[in-house]
Formats: sequence, structure tokens, C-alpha cells
Amino acid sequence: MSEELTSLYMEKATLVGCEVVALQDLKEAAEYIKGKAEGPLLVPESTLCTRYGMKSLLQDAGVTLHEGSFREAGHLPAGGVTFSNFAIGESGTIVLDSTPEEMRLATTIPEKYFVIVDPATIVADGLGAVEAMTALHSGHEPRYVAYISGPSRTADIERVLTIGAHGPREVHVLLIEGISSDFMEN
Amino acid sequence: MNDMSFKENVEKALANTRLSETLHTFGDGYLIAREKAFAGLDFQALREELGAIKDDVRVNRKALLAEFIKNAEAAGSTVFIAKDTKEANDYVANLARKKGAKTIAKSKSMVSEEAHFNKAMAAAGIESVETDLGEWILQLAGQRPSHLVMPAIHLVKEEVSALFSKDAGKTLAPEIKPLVDYSRKRLRDEYFRADIGLTGANFLVANTGGIGLVTNEGNARLCSTLPKVHVVFAGIHKLVRNMEDAIKITRLLPRNATAQLLTSYITWIRGAVPCDGGTKEQHIVLIDGGRSTLYESEACHDALRCIQCGACANVCPVYQTVGGHVFGSVYISAIGVILTAFYEGLEKAEPLVRACIGCRSCSAVCPVNIDLEAIILKLRHEVTEKYGMGTVKNVAFRAVMKNRNLFHTMIKAASRLQGPVTQKGSVPSERRVIRHLPMHFMEKDLTGWRDLPAIAPRSFRDLFKTLEQKVENPTCTVGFFVGCGGDFVYPEVGVKMVKVLNRLGVKVIFPQGQNCCGIPALYSGDTETGKDLARQSVKAFYNLDVDYILSICPTCTMGVRRDFAERLEDEAEWAEKAKVVGAKVIDASAFMENVLHASEKLKALNLHGGEAVTYHDSCHLKRGSGVFAEPRALLESTGYTIKEMTNSDRCCGFGGTYSFLSHPQISKQITADKVENIHNTGVKTVAVDCPGCMMMIGGALGKQDETVRCVHTMELLADAFGV
Ligand code: SF4
Ligand code: SF4
Repeated sequence: MSEELTSLYMEKATLVGCEVVALQDLKEAAEYIKGKAEGPLLVPESTLCTRYGMKSLLQDAGVTLHEGSFREAGHLPAGGVTFSNFAIGESGTIVLDSTPEEMRLATTIPEKYFVIVDPATIVADGLGAVEAMTALHSGHEPRYVAYISGPSRTADIERVLTIGAHGPREVHVLLIEGISSDFMEN
Repeated sequence: MNDMSFKENVEKALANTRLSETLHTFGDGYLIAREKAFAGLDFQALREELGAIKDDVRVNRKALLAEFIKNAEAAGSTVFIAKDTKEANDYVANLARKKGAKTIAKSKSMVSEEAHFNKAMAAAGIESVETDLGEWILQLAGQRPSHLVMPAIHLVKEEVSALFSKDAGKTLAPEIKPLVDYSRKRLRDEYFRADIGLTGANFLVANTGGIGLVTNEGNARLCSTLPKVHVVFAGIHKLVRNMEDAIKITRLLPRNATAQLLTSYITWIRGAVPCDGGTKEQHIVLIDGGRSTLYESEACHDALRCIQCGACANVCPVYQTVGGHVFGSVYISAIGVILTAFYEGLEKAEPLVRACIGCRSCSAVCPVNIDLEAIILKLRHEVTEKYGMGTVKNVAFRAVMKNRNLFHTMIKAASRLQGPVTQKGSVPSERRVIRHLPMHFMEKDLTGWRDLPAIAPRSFRDLFKTLEQKVENPTCTVGFFVGCGGDFVYPEVGVKMVKVLNRLGVKVIFPQGQNCCGIPALYSGDTETGKDLARQSVKAFYNLDVDYILSICPTCTMGVRRDFAERLEDEAEWAEKAKVVGAKVIDASAFMENVLHASEKLKALNLHGGEAVTYHDSCHLKRGSGVFAEPRALLESTGYTIKEMTNSDRCCGFGGTYSFLSHPQISKQITADKVENIHNTGVKTVAVDCPGCMMMIGGALGKQDETVRCVHTMELLADAFGV
């Protein structure tokens, strides 16, 4: 992990409209999320979510989680929370293997999206992602990988940049050290 | 589109000044933002790399396509190759029928525009809803995109609110944010309701079997997630070899399209991903639709490198003036001209091909290094072969230009005949101008808004015969290719150049056998004449014992240097000679500065050019030869101060015979912008290095403000010397 990459990422992610905060641990993350989102949140199962008991941490902080199929969470649920595989400094991007459908729904339909990033997984630029992206696509399994750089945007009316076209209006990146430096898990 | 309806469309578009203003503001902002996005990167090197990647894909396309299909199928996709857009539409209609599907939520796909997909679905009883905001607006309006990246750029918020109000059944205010919010809520229902989601693809990655989608709004992610069936519509030219290729494209595409480092989303999808407790059904429809034919065209296949960034529209003066509904069909601007010719036929493309002004801005901005202007020029040849040139040009080029003596005699005759319509120019340099041409000779529109230059009483070739060259210690001897503008309209520029060169210790030789560079003929599509003219000038210069051949017209420089050898490539001996001659040609300013290092010497002379001037970069000088610092250095070293105008390198609207004969109205608007930028500097002298620009800018200034003059750099240098 390098300080430089972390500050590059923070600068660029902020530039593309993310809210970026460095936090101590997941407990602090849960509190941060509680402070920012009302209403039930979509928190999909994942390796890291299970490893760290993220759902309980959130519930302990007083966050309500949506139970059952995410398709039943309404057309515009309040928020979604995921971990991430890795991040790209130059463009302020997070990369998420979202092959499981719940993972996709949690990052596309809610108003707000919270994503936890381990600074150890930040690569400098697009080319730095080639190796990991190629590895994610080894074999023949179906795969759905998302690069997310800030909130959903459009400039289709009079070229005026407007946030919240179809995807989340807010993207909060929570930088926490020591979560996982393995690019293949989230 | 026939020529008549094209003309009508041009007139309609010109009447819509708001559109042109919008496109100008956008174009200006785009250039600044883009420069920032590319800071620290070597654009030229990067685009050459992308061009090479795309070329490799072209060469190996059959193997790569097979590899893509194999890998996609292994991951559970169904792949269908459609030989044309109709087959593609039919495939989806059949699929919908089999699935009992009633609605399709669709994200942006240019090839679906090409296929008129929504119309085909409607005919099959299937409702297809656009979810990209711009595309949805257009669907509600019943219009087609006027820009590749910003499809609804021609509409304003008032028009959007009227459309949305109708959809909502209540009045919505014309405020952008609430309008975007309305579409967000409204279209969300469509994703949940749709039986099929359709997306395009920016990449088809051969070695993974996956696709890549580059988007900002997030609608493609919803279309590919919520409905149970995902259909991908993609042209076969979207193939890349591997993830690395695709990622390299993502480095340039957003930067060049919208000056973003990356778009909000890049989505990589391979195979039949999980969906609502089961597995998604994914169909990839690969559309040929004329692409194989285009790949086979040696002259035009580079067009398939296109990654649809839209930049060639952003910088095109014709697009900025008339918009995408006129300058394009499904695809717009430079790339649109070429694709229209291949996908819809030359006939449809004919007026578009002719409308290009040849400024090369598109070629300069393309991130995959397509020389769009050169391809359009080749198409122009075909258009002329098929449809002729129109009477005026036929006379001018075919019959006259080929025969040097006849051409020069006619020019002399014209010089005499125009007597009654010529006035002495009242600008300080006393240029001769034609104020009014006899009405039956040309369209009325031609001189209504700017003076036409008149033919000089004595051509340069005549003047040269009596020109005494005083060279004290000649350090070298150069040849001079004068070009038509310099020969017949502004002979004094050549004379002054000779005098300045003499002062710098250089002697000039002028072979009388030279003729027009042939570019005007080529731009009108008359290749035969172009060849003939090339041979004449090659013959005149080949045996000359000089290292450099100077030119005062950058279009000629380009014509001789780049085109002569290419034009004569079927005649080996001529082509060889043309190469030798071409390699020696250099713009006069570039020669003085880069070969003689004149600005250092001139500084030491302490000359007093004195006045403030502004400099217009002519298209072919800056983008054809990369010369722009040189004339500025020369002018500054002779005591002139340069006050830069906004967009000094935007086309002046000349484009050779374009402005005179074929598209005077478009040209007029482009020139008006230039004149405004000049006025805003408050400076009274515009320097250029091109007789074409002098005609255009000088002529427009003559009509609007006679206190501002337009002169050639060579003239200003001569003034500073007092020669
Ligand atoms: S050469 Fe100039 S006018 Fe022609 S298409 Fe390109 S940018 Fe437009
Ligand atoms: S031709 Fe080049 S500049 Fe034009 S849209 Fe395609 S990639 Fe962009």
C-alpha cells in the first residue's frame, strides 16, 4: 500500500463526485452509514460480508436491513452496501465483481451506495487493472464486473451535468485498512 | 437525401441560429476540457497504438470472431450473426414471440438506430422503450439523434419539458434537475416491467467472450440486470483481442468523448449470469450490415476503427454550423459521411460528401487515428464519377484546369472581363475586389455577404519575369511553387516573399511550367484532372537543383507533398519523381524559421514592424504541416506584437471551391464566427499564411469593417524590412 496511491485515489474519487472518508474499522463504517441513510438498506451476502459479520455490525449500529429478495425492495430503495475487489487511483474508480444478482441490485437501484475499499487494493491506473481483470475472467464462468466512478450522471439536457440519472445519486467510499488485499474477493 | 432536400435542410438549419450557437459553445468548452483530460499524456502515441490494435483486429477478424463466439457460448451466451440489420431485428422479434415478451427496455446502441429497431419492434407488436435520457427524449419527440454521444443536443429544456408534460399528463416545469428526476422515476418502472433488456456493446472481448459497456447514466446496468432476457446488439467491428485492448480503449474514449477520465460506469458482462433465482438468458446479436464490405475496402476500411467518441463532430465547422440532422444520417459528421456511404449507399451520402470543407479537424482529433478527411476525399472522387460535378465545376475543372495555357488564358480573360464589376478595394492595402458579380454568372448569395477577390491584372508568373533579385551573398537557392491564389489573386505576396528571402541571402527560382496543385479539382472529385496537374508540376520541378521548394499556400504544400505521389501511384516513374519533388516542399514561414533560423537573425536587426497583429492559423498549415509557432516567431522577431484571438485555429470557412460554388451558406456562417473573433481582439491587422484564408477573411472583413485588413505573413515581413 502506498500513501501516494491512497491520496491520488481520494483526490480523483472526490473529483468524480464521490464522498470519500478514511475510517478506522467496520464498526465506524456502520455508524457512518447509519448517519447517512434512512430506510432499509440492501446488503448482499459476500465473502467479506460474512467474514466480518457486516450485517450484524450494521444492525448493531441501528441500521434497518431489507429482508428477502432485493427485487421486492421497491423501485428506489434507500441504500446499498458492498465491499469491493479493488480500486483505480487515476480515475477514482472502484471495481466490484457483482456476478451474484443481489450484488448488482444493491449497487444499481438504490438512491445511495456505500462501498468499503481497502487502500491496499488501489492500483495506479487503468493499465494497472489489466492483470486483475484478466484473472477475474479466467475460465468460462459467467461474470459481471462493474467499474464504478462516482454517482450516475447525465448531460443529455442542454449539456448540463446532472447527478442521479438512473443509478445511485450518492456514492460514499469508506477507506478502511486491513480488510483484504486479495483482488479476487469482495 | 437528394440534393434539393439537402439544400432545404441546410437552409432550415441555418435559420435555427440557436442550434448553431449551442454547438459552438459546446465545441469551445469541449476543446478546453479535453485538453485538460489529456494533460500529461501523449495523444499522438496513444492514438497510433489504438489504431494499430484496431488494424490487427481487422486483419485477424475471422479468427477473433470465432474465438469470441466460442468463449461466449462456453459461458452460456447464445450468439447469432446477422448479415444485415433486418436479420438482427427479425431475430429479436422471433425471440420475443417465443418468450411471449411484450416489452423491451433498451439502453443506447447506435447499431439499433442503424437498424431502426424501435420501428421494427412496433411493427411486430412489441413495445421498445429507450432508457438513455437523451434517447428517450428523442423517442418521445419522434426524432433521431443529432450527436453520437449527446443525442438530444439540439433540444432545449423547454422542449423537453413539453414532451415530458405530455407523457406525465400534467405540466412539468422547464427545469433540468426535476426533469431528470421525472425520467428517473418514470423509467424505473420500465426496467421492472420489461421482459427483455437490450444493450449495445462497446467491446466484444475475444479471449473472454464478454462484452464491455461504457456509460454514465447507469441505465445499461439496469437493462442488463432486471429483465430475465438480455439481448446484446453489436456491430462486428467492436471486437478486440483481449482485456488489455479494451482497457486501452477506455483510456481514450471517455477523455475524447466528454473529457472524463472514465465514465461513471464501465460494465463487463460475460455469459448467462444469475437472475432472479435462476440464470439469465443472454443473446448476443452480432451485426455485419455492410461492415465486411467496408473491411474489404482498402481506401476506407480505417473507418471501422471508430470507437464512437463523437469528437469528429465536436470540432467540425460544418457540423457546428448546420448540426447533425443535416450533416449526417444515422451516424453524423465526418464518420457519418463515410458510414452513410457504405451502409446506406453512395447516393444517400452524396450531398454529405460534398458538404465537407476539408479542414482536417476531424482527422486531428480522432482517437483511433482515422484520417477521416482523406477518406472523404476519396469518396468525393467516387461521387463525381457517379454523379458528375455540377455544371460550373465541370467547366472549371475538367475542361479548363487540365490545360495550363487555356487555364491561364481564361484567367487573363476573366481579369479583363471583370473590369466593370471590379472596384479598387478601400482597405489600406488596396486589394482589388469584386463587389458584385453579374447575376447570371453565379448565385446571388455569393457576393451578398462578402467580397470576392478579383483576378490581379498581372499574375505572379508574369511579374517574376521582370523581378530583379538583389542578393548580396547568396547562401542558398530555392524553388518556388506559387499556387493559383498566389499566382492570380495575390501576386504581391510572392513578390514580397522573394524580396524578404533576398534580404536573408536566398535566391529564388520560379519554373514557369508549374500549374495548379490540383487540390481544388480533387476536392470536387475530379481525380483525372488532379493527376494531370500533378504531372505538369512534377515535370517543372524535378530537374531543378534545389533542396527546398517554397510554398506560400499550405493547401498547395499538402497537395504537393502528400498527394502528388499518391495521385500518381499507378505510374511508377512519375510516382518516384513526385516523391522527390514532394519531399522538398515546405511552407515559406517554416523554411525561414526552421531552416534559416531567421527569427534569431531578425531580432538582431531590430526591425520595427511595430503594430499589433492577430494571427489566424489556417487549417492545412496547422493540421496539415504542424506549422504555427514559426510565423508567430518571425512576426515577433520583426517587431510585431501578437494579440491572439479566440480559436485562432478554427477554420475560416474557405475550403476552396466549397465556399464559392457549392456551399456558400454554410461557409458564410463559419466565416462570421471568425470575423467576430478577430473583432474581439480590437486589432486592425490579421496575419495568415494562406491565400485561401485571405480571400475568405479579407472578403468578409471588406463587407463588414474596412478598417481591418487581412495580409500574408510574407507581406508583414516585407513591410518590416521596408521592401
Ligand atoms: S474535414 Fe473539416 S469539414 Fe470535413 S468533416 Fe472533417 S472537420 Fe468536418
Ligand atoms: S471517427 Fe474517430 S473521432 Fe469520429 S467518432 Fe469515431 S473514433 Fe471518434
